Amino acid sequence: MAKLTLMFEDKLVKQVPIGTRPVGIGRSPDNDLPVDNLAVSNYHARVYVEAGRLVVEDLDSLNGTFVNDLRVERATLHDGDSIWVGKHHIKVDASGDTTSLGDTGKKGAVAPRINETMVLDTKARRDMLQQAAAMGERTQFAASRLKVPTLVVLSGKTDQKEYVLTNKLTVIGKSKMATVKLKGWFKPQLAAQVNQRDDGYYVGPGDKVPVVNGAPITGPLRLNDGDVVEVCGLRMNFIFRD
Amino acid sequence: MDIVSGGVTNVGRVRTNNEDCFRIVEPLNLFVLSDGMGGEAHGEIASALAVETVVQHCQETENDPAMTIFGDMPAIWSEKTKRLASAVHLANKSIYDSAQAHPEQRGMGATVTAAWIDGTRLSIAHVGDSRAYLLRSGNLQQLTSDHSLVAEQVRRGILTPAEAERSDMQSVLLRALGAHPEIEVDSEEHVLFANDVLLLCSDGLTRMITEPEIAGTLQADPDPAKAADRLVQLANEQGGADNVTAVVVHIGGQSKGWFSWLRRGPRKAVRKNGSAGGK
Repeated sequence: MAKLTLMFEDKLVKQVPIGTRPVGIGRSPDNDLPVDNLAVSNYHARVYVEAGRLVVEDLDSLNGTFVNDLRVERATLHDGDSIWVGKHHIKVDASGDTTSLGDTGKKGAVAPRINETMVLDTKARRDMLQQAAAMGERTQFAASRLKVPTLVVLSGKTDQKEYVLTNKLTVIGKSKMATVKLKGWFKPQLAAQVNQRDDGYYVGPGDKVPVVNGAPITGPLRLNDGDVVEVCGLRMNFIFRD
Repeated sequence: MDIVSGGVTNVGRVRTNNEDCFRIVEPLNLFVLSDGMGGEAHGEIASALAVETVVQHCQETENDPAMTIFGDMPAIWSEKTKRLASAVHLANKSIYDSAQAHPEQRGMGATVTAAWIDGTRLSIAHVGDSRAYLLRSGNLQQLTSDHSLVAEQVRRGILTPAEAERSDMQSVLLRALGAHPEIEVDSEEHVLFANDVLLLCSDGLTRMITEPEIAGTLQADPDPAKAADRLVQLANEQGGADNVTAVVVHIGGQSKGWFSWLRRGPRKAVRKNGSAGGK
């Protein structure tokens, strides 16, 4: 069975197994993994199983939740990952068969992050989360947040084989400030762009007009899972990765 | 980078007072816009206070970088982004305090959208439903998320963007400066590219004219002040139901290095693209 081990520096603080119930992490003592540090919010993050995968979700903490140095709002955990909250970290041991984690499916899905009120304290936020859950919207919302948008390079010269779209604005080009860096002579600084909007990811033109699934785009085009984007001799697959 | 900017605010064609307020601080490349709300003249007080506080705090921190940062900030943010978010926290507090001290001002509030450009880095801090847009290669991208009920419903998939535009709940804000002693500020950082155009605007603009119209107008006029003027004019032509404010910022294509001649090609291409996408 998968388990989480709360560590402070090299010392083991507490270890809990991950069952069907979410594991709460935070400064408040009623968390499964209470972390006694002022940098940690009362209800800072939680870990739960969803569709056979282990997921960590930041509960809008002030100082953030980090998985292996990367700040995350929500991320899938793998065996050996470390979740950092303040100066503590939590080691993820999922060496057991992950499919045996119990598929809680949509029931395990978590309420959306919402800003329904201007009050910032964690109690209000917790109430809000519960409220949203009661409204029955959580499954729908969580389903759309499950996956990580990724550009996988199929062919062409770039600095990486795969790009996880973490920013709202992604530039494909030769510029050293571009996310997807094109290599080679005569490539434009800003060839095309992929931008996040409220309802999805849109590919737009730069100095070149990208081609999506064989057709040049006529304006910003919303990308669907599996779409093939071509620009400047670069072919990429847009996918929502688990 | 060469930065040229211009802004216009206008009362609109229906209202009698202008509760919008903006400020361009050229030496700092700081741009602040606020849309006030509240009865009588209090919306004006709130928006002026918001803009004033943000500008003042940013100016002071330029002289005294050791000043305290208000609110909790992620370590990954740049100094400017933290400062800007901190300034918005302060603006919230000054509006809230003012409303507490003057009972007749109760209920006043304001949105704020602030942009600070430092080299190629753009810092944004934002509360409410005023917006920041980035026009890049003819592609208009909204940078800020509206803190309005309908926008939240779109994000949750309850409404489609089209339904949201028709909704009569558009004025319901989920977050605004001045309502609570503490506030959550949205902040973000982006890398700017040559020829990017930044637009800050109040909802009086975005509710009157469409995004393609905004994109077209921004591309059509190379002078930011004139483009801002034209945007406001368009909003008024289409009803002008609310105060309208637009601040347009052009990021120049000037290169810093000796290799600047290399960039001529792409820049020309962008210009071509730009005029083609205009009217």
